[in-house]
Amino acid sequence: MRLFLLFFLVGIFVLLLQTTLLHLLPGGPIAPDLTLVLCVYLGLYHPTVGAALGSFLLGYSIDIVSSRVIGVNAFAMSLVFLSVYFSSRAIWLQNPMVSSLVVLLAALVKGAALVLVSAIFVSVEGFWIGAAWYIIKEALLAAVLAPMVFALLRRGENFVERFRSVAP
Amino acid sequence: MFAFLRKNQVPLSACFCLLLSIYILMAAARGQLKNEPLGALLMWIMRPLQIASQGAVNWIIDFRENYDTLVGFKIENERLRKRIQNLEVERQKYLEADATNRQLKQLLDFRSHLPAGAITASIIANSATSWFKSCQIDKGSVDGVRKGMAVVTPLGVVGQVVAVTPRTAKVLLLTDQNSGIDVLVQRTRSRGIVSGSLESGTVLKYVKRSEDIQQGDRLITSGMDGVFPKGMMVGTVIKVLKQHIGLFQFIEVLPAVQTPLTENVLVVSADSGAAKD
Repeated sequence: MRLFLLFFLVGIFVLLLQTTLLHLLPGGPIAPDLTLVLCVYLGLYHPTVGAALGSFLLGYSIDIVSSRVIGVNAFAMSLVFLSVYFSSRAIWLQNPMVSSLVVLLAALVKGAALVLVSAIFVSVEGFWIGAAWYIIKEALLAAVLAPMVFALLRRGENFVERFRSVAP
Repeated sequence: MFAFLRKNQVPLSACFCLLLSIYILMAAARGQLKNEPLGALLMWIMRPLQIASQGAVNWIIDFRENYDTLVGFKIENERLRKRIQNLEVERQKYLEADATNRQLKQLLDFRSHLPAGAITASIIANSATSWFKSCQIDKGSVDGVRKGMAVVTPLGVVGQVVAVTPRTAKVLLLTDQNSGIDVLVQRTRSRGIVSGSLESGTVLKYVKRSEDIQQGDRLITSGMDGVFPKGMMVGTVIKVLKQHIGLFQFIEVLPAVQTPLTENVLVVSADSGAAKD
């Protein structure tokens, strides 16, 4: 329950950051996709039903606050979670250095899913033009930030665990 | 069946989420998704946070803009400061040019009152020792300067050329103890010799005790020495002392021309007559 609360709050915080403060960073229109990093973290370290629903809700929240059509990001995030879940079962991905690579690949998966779903449902002409470069940049940025975000999340988890062990 | 579901609950739930999102997508694309209770709840949670966060963002943006503005002001300030410096230098040049122009014009006017053949020169050096009062001018024999010529300015007498090289000339100032200029007291027409002295500055010598000399009397060249044109200002009497004994009065004179402050002079010859004024 406490972990659920932690990830819920982190999700809100990350969403808040992504919609406000992160746009101040000198990255042009590209803001670091921290929700994706959180989704990958959930897929790697908490492969539970709750995490799957959490990933969906993360994407859905992004859709609510910023997408033109509801469901695009929900689909992409669910797909990312599923990909990470299956990958982590096949390969050992717990190494912090590997986390960057996983996030990079996950970002590529998400980007591809967004382009695909948008092409089908949003039918914006030429939406995919220029998307490749955008996806790569966003993926690289997320990959760079991944180890730090992972470390912070782990610290948060440790804190919650310690709090649980101390509490009567 | 249950065991399969239990074993694959995570991928199944993820797949369910995928299908759900596709359903939502299709509904949204068809415009059937009218009510979104989850969205409303999320927005209800997010709204105050977003307002607060946006406030922080706006503060940061304002801060950054103010900082940029300040940096802009600093750069502008630097630029203006440099411009002011350049303008100050330019102004100084113009002022200097104006002063020189006025001085030269004055000299030119004065030159028209002097005998023909006056040579304009600039003082390029002063005396190297306080024992002798002399200066050097930038004109020499090549320019027509000869030994014995008078050196004057519109204000009055400067001295006399005592040595000439092709390009320079040495001028013995009237304040030197070895100089002697025949003068008239303008008011009384009394005659005397103005010379320098080590202990009393410039003095008027050989004026009889009976002569009426007063403080403030103006001394002009008599033209009798054959060096200076007649009627040129030499100085002003600043002190008169009649001693109990002796034939002459002691008269202290303030030279009309302060050589250290003089830049341009005229070298003239008294051969062709007196000054027109």
